[in-house]
Amino acid sequence: MRKFLLTLSSLFLLLMSGFAQKKMITGTVTDDKGLPVANATVQLKGTSTGTITATNGTYSLPVSVDKGTLVFSGINLEPKEESIADRSVIDVSLVVTANSLTEVVILGYQTVKKKEVTGSVSSVAGKEIAQKPIGNFTQLLQGKATGVQVTGQSGRPGANGYIRVRGTGSINASSEPLIILDGIPITSVAYSLLNPNDVEDISVLKDAASQAIYGSRAANGVIIISSRKGRGKPTLRYSFQYGKTNALDLQNIKLMNSQEKLQYEYEGNITNPILDTMISNRVANGTFPGGSNLFNISPSQRSDLWNLTASRAPKTWSNILLPEGRVRTHEVALSGSDDKFTYYFSLNSSKTDGVSYGSYWNKTGGRLNVEYKALDWFKLGTDLGVTHSKENNVRSLYNTQAAYTSLFIINPYEPVYLSDGTTYNVTHAGYSPLEGTDHNPSVLDRVSTFTTMYAEANFFKHLAFKTQIGINFNTLSQENYLQPGSNLAKILGYNQKTDAGNRDFVFVISNTATWKQTFAEKHSITILAGQEYTKDKFYSYSLAARGFPTASVNTQDNAGSAQTATTSRSDWALLSYFANVTYDYNKKYYLNVTGRRDGSSRFGANKRFANFWAVGGAWDIINENFFKSKILSTLKLKASIGTAGNVPLGLYDNLGTYALTTKYSDLPAAVPARLPNADLTWETNKNYDVGLDFGFFDDRLSGAADYYNRKTNNLIYPRNVSYTTGFTSFTSNIGNLENKGFEFSLNGDIIRGRDLTVNLFASYSHNDNKFLKLYSNNTPQTLSYFTEGQPSYTYFLNRWAGINPSNGKELYYTADGNLTETYSSSDAVLLKGKSPNVKWFGSFGTSISYKGLDLSAQFYYSGGNYIMNYIYQVGASEGENINDAQLTDAFNYWKKPGDIVRYANLNDLAQRKTFDTDKYLEKGDYITLRDVTIGYTTPKSIASKIKMKSLRFYVQGTNLWIGTKFHGLPEVGESNGETGLITPGLFNLFAQPQLRAVTFGVDVRF
Amino acid sequence: MKNIKYLIFLVALGFSSCQKSNLDLFPYNQIETSQAFNTQADVTLAINGMYAGLKTSGSYFVGGVWNIIADVLADNLIPNKTGPGRGSLLTYSEWRYTGQNTYGLFTGGYSIIRRANAILENIDNFEDGAFKDNAKGEALALRAMVYFDMSRVYGKTYENASASDLVLPYITSTDPSIEPSKIPVKDFYDLVIADLESAKTLIGTTNGIYRLNEPAVAALLSRVYLYKGDWAKCIAASNEALGTSPSIPNIATFPKIWIDDAGANASVFFKVRNTKLDNVNSQGVNYYQTVGGQKKSEFVATYDFAQLYTSDDIRTSTYIQQGTFNGQVYNNVIKYDGRPGDPAGVVDAKVIRTAEVLLNRAEAYYRSTDATSALADLVLLKSNRYAGYVPEMLSGTALLDEIYNQRRLELAFEGDRFWDLKRRNLPVVRDATDGDLANGGGIPFVFTSLPVGDYRFELPYPQEEVNFNANLTQNPGY
Repeated sequence: MRKFLLTLSSLFLLLMSGFAQKKMITGTVTDDKGLPVANATVQLKGTSTGTITATNGTYSLPVSVDKGTLVFSGINLEPKEESIADRSVIDVSLVVTANSLTEVVILGYQTVKKKEVTGSVSSVAGKEIAQKPIGNFTQLLQGKATGVQVTGQSGRPGANGYIRVRGTGSINASSEPLIILDGIPITSVAYSLLNPNDVEDISVLKDAASQAIYGSRAANGVIIISSRKGRGKPTLRYSFQYGKTNALDLQNIKLMNSQEKLQYEYEGNITNPILDTMISNRVANGTFPGGSNLFNISPSQRSDLWNLTASRAPKTWSNILLPEGRVRTHEVALSGSDDKFTYYFSLNSSKTDGVSYGSYWNKTGGRLNVEYKALDWFKLGTDLGVTHSKENNVRSLYNTQAAYTSLFIINPYEPVYLSDGTTYNVTHAGYSPLEGTDHNPSVLDRVSTFTTMYAEANFFKHLAFKTQIGINFNTLSQENYLQPGSNLAKILGYNQKTDAGNRDFVFVISNTATWKQTFAEKHSITILAGQEYTKDKFYSYSLAARGFPTASVNTQDNAGSAQTATTSRSDWALLSYFANVTYDYNKKYYLNVTGRRDGSSRFGANKRFANFWAVGGAWDIINENFFKSKILSTLKLKASIGTAGNVPLGLYDNLGTYALTTKYSDLPAAVPARLPNADLTWETNKNYDVGLDFGFFDDRLSGAADYYNRKTNNLIYPRNVSYTTGFTSFTSNIGNLENKGFEFSLNGDIIRGRDLTVNLFASYSHNDNKFLKLYSNNTPQTLSYFTEGQPSYTYFLNRWAGINPSNGKELYYTADGNLTETYSSSDAVLLKGKSPNVKWFGSFGTSISYKGLDLSAQFYYSGGNYIMNYIYQVGASEGENINDAQLTDAFNYWKKPGDIVRYANLNDLAQRKTFDTDKYLEKGDYITLRDVTIGYTTPKSIASKIKMKSLRFYVQGTNLWIGTKFHGLPEVGESNGETGLITPGLFNLFAQPQLRAVTFGVDVRF
Repeated sequence: MKNIKYLIFLVALGFSSCQKSNLDLFPYNQIETSQAFNTQADVTLAINGMYAGLKTSGSYFVGGVWNIIADVLADNLIPNKTGPGRGSLLTYSEWRYTGQNTYGLFTGGYSIIRRANAILENIDNFEDGAFKDNAKGEALALRAMVYFDMSRVYGKTYENASASDLVLPYITSTDPSIEPSKIPVKDFYDLVIADLESAKTLIGTTNGIYRLNEPAVAALLSRVYLYKGDWAKCIAASNEALGTSPSIPNIATFPKIWIDDAGANASVFFKVRNTKLDNVNSQGVNYYQTVGGQKKSEFVATYDFAQLYTSDDIRTSTYIQQGTFNGQVYNNVIKYDGRPGDPAGVVDAKVIRTAEVLLNRAEAYYRSTDATSALADLVLLKSNRYAGYVPEMLSGTALLDEIYNQRRLELAFEGDRFWDLKRRNLPVVRDATDGDLANGGGIPFVFTSLPVGDYRFELPYPQEEVNFNANLTQNPGY
């Protein structure tokens, strides 16, 4: 660093002093695609004279000699030397090196040149997921790779995304892909704590050939994340970001305002308690005659009452329950390398205030990645990351304790405070979510560490050994405080503090040996063999006590009496052996063979081990002598076939057990916990994939097309049993599922100018999901069904037939298709083809740069799925929830014979009831302007004057626009934070709303 | 040669992880089913587990709806719509339940039955003796008790059922592969009675009030025989349960039953314990929550029913209390307020009391034309309820009506009314004009009548079970 600063300052000195005999050499540095290279180093060989290229690749270097050599170098570029030879303009084109980001793909246990990949792998560069103010990096993967479908869980700060690689292959909760950071598998809780800016690159392994090396864990794809490594000269980066977030507006529906709601209640013959009291008071003081009620006072009197009521309420409850959120991040990173030492060091902190009242998520972390090349043939290193986070876990459920739900419960005309102006009004719901959030905090405190340590030795020319130890250690401490004096404490009759938490220790040790050799210059062979052992140890505790004297003390030693104290423990282990052979002939024909044997503690002794395999091949047609084309620049055909596996989510699901955790009369009790299934066996995927990579005109137009088929056999899922057994299900292998589809992506560099570049991109992924076989065909699920030939979770609902125009009653179809006014649960039918599975998705957009300005825009679209829209049902409700806030849509009710409307006669009290029918089952199609970024990088001349390498400002907008026909918010992940997840998007039920954000950022490099 | 040193180091590192890893991992808080019945202590754990099942949320006793559902379905309780409450159980009040609503009463019941069946399947491996007999007796009795309550929910009662009327499968094994069919109501009663009679000879007498004992089993038999209309056996079982001098709590003792005072234990045959640590407040919350110091009721006593409670009746102040919420006065049900010093609503579930058995016997006496004994039982009850009660001379229908009236007053909010109307083949007729307020104002019932023979007297089986198990057909009408 010091040397670097010295270099810089000497450079400035040189510039300032302005020697007379100086000769100015100028030029442009481009890469082998003709794109300008920024920040490339230009140096006069053997001297300290040098400079760095600007964003547009230009440089100018004053030299005092006519002869000499200039050395051009840059990150991931092959250095090049050019003799000055009396020239004053020297343009160079640098070749991108083999280990550069764009050309290398990290696969299981090894790195492979992109050109030699035989499988289907999507790469996402770190900058594509650089920090955005929504969710965590899993949500940021949305739209970044074909075949990788991501649904945001909710708008909670730090919420995960549900990632489905090539459809939902497993239907239990572990249908998430395996996520590996620097060689260690990490838990979904932990990856929300990763700093996206520390990510160098992400590979998504989508097909058998690339997955098989992960065997039993790869059934749902593998996401490999590598954290940043230092490269080149020391660089100090500082980034700052500030953003504002808002809950997305409901689409196509809106809540009634005070006047509308009062009108609706009036039409529904309801006098709410506020009006009732007002009228009683006016009767008491003689303003109204005795016997007055809402319906016999004059319209103007009524109107006055309504206006007065509305005037005492807040202008809009949504600003109170869902205030504007804020995001602030600071980050410093220092990185670099020399011959022996590579380092990357970063520190970051972020503060996020969520849009649900009282929610926040603050996080600080650091990372140190170092590698030391001790000897020519021996290196060792470590990648260390640690993050601390603290969040207020506000309630997210379907009742008035949750802020978002309350928006649909608390009437718009109800005041926030009582007349004293400070006490929260509990409203007609009997509870104030504001008071609850203030006085019943639930604070989650997490520390996650990610540690990888390795040593690698090349004893012989072609043979390398690597030993690696990985540890992912996560702790959580959760403190829930039902404070003395809080409303809920009064309702329950006690105050209580619960301290709960857990620690999860994942330990992986792996040893690999790699042999790489090329024979006769045409035959290249790589053999990888390895062994790996993974152990996870989980420990949890919970302590509760009551009788706290005051809210200001909250540790358990202040409590009046202890309530419960429990601990629990569980663990699992996996032992694996694997081997992989890759061969290529003259860079034309590639062959890749993989085998893996896994043993898992989650199965009974006779089902413990399973073998997985894959074969992949590629033909690089463009390298064939017979194939000469001026148009085509890339043409590669790939195909693979193989298997991968999955284990049950439960750790001991093969065992029938009695649990000892229940008590009766404060005495220990044994209760049947699980039905045994000694035959429970591995879920296996059999996949095949055919793909074509192509490029035209020097890859100015490039793309890829893939077709795949994934058959999941022996799906692991709870198998229903008759409830008369005292159980509802046991973990079993229930059948076979198929996902098949295709992926298509196009990328066009329309303009590759020195000052102007214009790029357009588009992608489309399609997936069809259906059961091929079910061992037991009668497998009803929540709102849905598993049936052969249909997608998983195909909806099973009663069918709504409209409102009877003659009498204003709801009409339904019977199972046989006849009309009836009686709802009967046995009239539910399978709604073929309608399931929550997303069928198609993709993105398109552009990135443009002109001199220092850059603009990028990305649209994301998704659809083909259906969603049970409970929020709409609760909000329109046919009068069932007339006492709560309602949607303006509810006005569309039957008033007179002949009306063709959506809702039943409001004044037929027997009709004030909603039932689950397809009336509220809606298509989930939408398109959103996911991201727009406008940036400006100051010219080098300005940056260098303030002693910077580069300086960039940007403004970024997220979800600025949505197009959908869905009523509400179409991106549905979890139903809410406290209803167990069945499958993402099956129904919505007031999860924290997804966000719109606008962010400003600065990025400075020294 | 330096390479060798590193090689040794690396190989050693590699081997350290190659040791034969132990993939045999077992849970820390569970035992394998095959190891669950090795010792008598294990059996005791399983018996406790069986009783613990009675507390299950959403099903029957402590954590369930049994203390309110029979009154919600009938004419004792009206939903608080003026308030209004959260709307829980409104579906039941409006008789609009579907296959999606009665899940807990079905699964909760069979879950307890499985626990009993597991004990019965394993108990024969133990040596003969008092321990074995008692365990077997408890399992048989508890199973029969739950089956009987389930049959009241899902089936017709014995006297109203024809030979072809079916009710729940009577499962006696732990086989997980069954897809059983319903059986005739009459056969079902025979199985319940056989289990209870068998249990009565086996079970002990020192299990304590929180578990079943011989008198409690006799009391349950009294109830089942009443529903069967077997008056002689009802009287015999009641006699056995009550003994020669029935322990009917007097006016001073009666309120103690509801605060779980040990002084009232003799008036309860069996109650499901709900300790301070269990902290299950569902029985209280079923009725109301306290908001801002005021009771916000879900359901309140109907206006006409509340009028039946007179001021000289100790039950009036024990069961019902007028209270204000949001400026309106309601007849709140305070029977499950809870124990002094414990959180609100945390209270034991009284499953069967001496007073019920006495009323069973009074009715059985009357029906078997022993009006004198019937009157004696009625007088015994009323003299322990009404201050300054002077024994009446009632006879004929007036006597029977008063027995029924006392039954309604005594067992209100305790899991009786709807089943009793069903047993007696009577409709539910609700007051259509008076509302939910204590003065009869407020919002009245929307749904006011359930005629005799209406399909909704039998609740629907869970639709998921019907969809899965083709042998179990849905009750008619759903």
